[in-house]
Amino acid sequence: MKPNPVQQVGVTPIPNHTFPTTRTMPAPHPDTIQQLKDLQRPVIYFAVARLADSDQIYLGGSDFKVCSADLGAAKFEPKELYSHQSYVTGIALAGLNLVSGGYDGQLIWCDVETGQIIRTIPAHSKWIRKVVASPDGKLVASVADDMVCRIWDAQTGQLVHELRGHKEQTPQHFGSMLHAVAFSPDGKLLATGDKVAHVVIWDVASGQQLGSVDAPIMYTWDKVQRLHSIGGVRSLAFSPDGKHLAVGGTGKIGNIDHLEAKSRIEVFDWKAGKQLAEFVSDKQGIVNRLEWSACGSWLVGAGGAGEGFLLFYDVAARKALRQDKLPMHTHDFHLSADGTELICVGHNRITVHRLGRVH
Amino acid sequence: MPRINFCGSPEHAVDRRAFLGAAAGATLAADMTAINALAAPEVNGELRKNQKRVILLWLAGGASQLETWDPKPGAPTGGPFRAIKTDVPGVAISELMPKMAQRMKTTCIIRGLNTKNGDHGSAAQIMMRGRRDEATLKYPDLGAVLAREMGRADSKVPDYVTFYTQTEGRNMAPGSPGFLGARYAPMELTTNNIPEFIRKLDSIDELDHHERAHLRELLSKQFARGRTSETLNSQNEAYERVRGIMASEKLFDITQEPQTVRDRYGPTQFAEQTLIARRLVEAGVPFVRVGRAWWDSHGQNFETHQEMVPELDHVLATLIDDLAERGLSDDVMVLTLAEFGRTPTINPSLGRDHFASAWSMTITGCGIKGGAVYGKTDPKGNTVVAEEVDAGSLFATIYAALGINPHKNYYVGSRPVPLVNPGIEPIKAVLK
Repeated sequence: MKPNPVQQVGVTPIPNHTFPTTRTMPAPHPDTIQQLKDLQRPVIYFAVARLADSDQIYLGGSDFKVCSADLGAAKFEPKELYSHQSYVTGIALAGLNLVSGGYDGQLIWCDVETGQIIRTIPAHSKWIRKVVASPDGKLVASVADDMVCRIWDAQTGQLVHELRGHKEQTPQHFGSMLHAVAFSPDGKLLATGDKVAHVVIWDVASGQQLGSVDAPIMYTWDKVQRLHSIGGVRSLAFSPDGKHLAVGGTGKIGNIDHLEAKSRIEVFDWKAGKQLAEFVSDKQGIVNRLEWSACGSWLVGAGGAGEGFLLFYDVAARKALRQDKLPMHTHDFHLSADGTELICVGHNRITVHRLGRVH
Repeated sequence: MPRINFCGSPEHAVDRRAFLGAAAGATLAADMTAINALAAPEVNGELRKNQKRVILLWLAGGASQLETWDPKPGAPTGGPFRAIKTDVPGVAISELMPKMAQRMKTTCIIRGLNTKNGDHGSAAQIMMRGRRDEATLKYPDLGAVLAREMGRADSKVPDYVTFYTQTEGRNMAPGSPGFLGARYAPMELTTNNIPEFIRKLDSIDELDHHERAHLRELLSKQFARGRTSETLNSQNEAYERVRGIMASEKLFDITQEPQTVRDRYGPTQFAEQTLIARRLVEAGVPFVRVGRAWWDSHGQNFETHQEMVPELDHVLATLIDDLAERGLSDDVMVLTLAEFGRTPTINPSLGRDHFASAWSMTITGCGIKGGAVYGKTDPKGNTVVAEEVDAGSLFATIYAALGINPHKNYYVGSRPVPLVNPGIEPIKAVLK
């Protein structure tokens, strides 16, 4: 990894607003990040999950397979658990239940202890984009291009809620896509984001819509040059207190054919429906994954275009901490609960990183 | 039609055209000599082709064959989309095209295109002209050739109309009459769906407009007395055509269509322009190209095609149905074509790049066998393994299906120039 000098590229501060942070112990700091592993495989990995307190990871990718792998093993050898009928784009671990979703519209439950498939559900009528588990592991949420978010009981597979708050068509009469979903750290909130960059915040218990925000620059519809779009909200992350929502995608595109746009993150006070900050990176491409550190002192985003990137922002100070190049366009990552380990997956590669604590 | 005794002069080169214009007129029907002349097979062919029309849906930038007509599900290059069965046993297409899957009996897929050029500009020229220009000879494109072959001298509508409203790639794929000259240049619509500058000035009322035309005709006739000049004839023809085109404005106005028809095509720009194309060919325009940009999916290929292919599927299926219901299936050919396809390899941006070695197009209607599939690619889609087709043989096939001899000559000075390069033959397997 080749770190860039800290830059405050395109950061738009909003005056007189503070972001809460929790600093009860020394937090891992992005300045200490080191790349430990760079593992190459002939697969585009779209999703990764990690068994807590272990080196066991689960991968989903372009080979239609869900695999397990031991990052601590001398030789990295992913083992196939089972297959979908198309790209596997979402994986979530809810306790010992592994739930995967793919372009085949199916959700598959697997017991990671036995490796046995528990159930297969035709969950969506179109392509599933992402699957996430609630922090307590009791619920799983899936989003798909049928523009519905479905919340499932992680143990029984029963449907708990159907959340419908996104239009099936764009204003230009094309099919929309529901790319992103994220739970808040306390599990009480859920956010979903779509192609036209409309974000809905939901109350998980009731399934009721609580609010919405929009990041229209991320839509990237081009009515003059190319008459299509490739943008949308691709990633979402709540702040530790759930008050703020980070939204990731791409910005105004110069050349839509090559994703020539600076990656973009906007942070909202979602209750007020107010944008608090926007971060425009000097790295090109789409922010596919976002997560706030548990202490709230930084936000990490990953994505890419022809190349990959890893971005760290101090949202409270509204400044970029690092903008690093990754060896691959990154589609997903797993950040350990203590924020010290980061596993990135993407185009033909898996990289493992460590962050140190700064006293 | 061969010109055995043709002297090569431009003046004589238009004689056949003048004949056809007259032959199509009412006076011909009363002339038994002329009717007997129509019994000759080549003249029947000429008349048949005069009834033919072509709509080209130009997928500018290069649509992916893997996400449309030649899916490879499960292959490392195949992408996420499934293949679905069609109404032709054994033929599957991308799941992004469910409507066309029910209409493949109407349509021929050419899967074996190997056109050897992956540059937007020069590839577009090849795929619009059927061959590469020579250093000193610029060939007419398909629209110009068909305008010449199927247009009528007395036509009140334009011969060649092209829509290309997006800016990307427009300059790389312009309509071009080549050596046929400006007479066969397209009417190009680049800003909206109705031609600009064809309306009568508001400051001139209808009476004044007609009186000016009568005055011009009177002066022209007086001037023409005792003179014979192709230039003069051409001048008069140009005025006639301008008046015809001015009167054709309503053809471009889709509000003239019932709302049910407009709803059926849909509200997108591509849909509306395709509906206009149907109106134009129905009114006798020989060739309409509807350019739909921009398919150049180097980044996010799958989402690009998720967005754009369903629109193509819907519009193409609706057009085919509409033409069939109007009894025009045998008279109107519909083509989907681009400058090239896309690489089987998926790049780090989840894109596919330019690829001309093994890609696909479709032909529907006229003299083409519906349900036919010509050409086969390997399991990953990297190469054509059977029934390879180049641009020349594709054009020869289109000409032959329209009743035009692909080996006929035009003349540039005294040089005979065949419609397709020597040695190129139509694909007989797809011709009825």
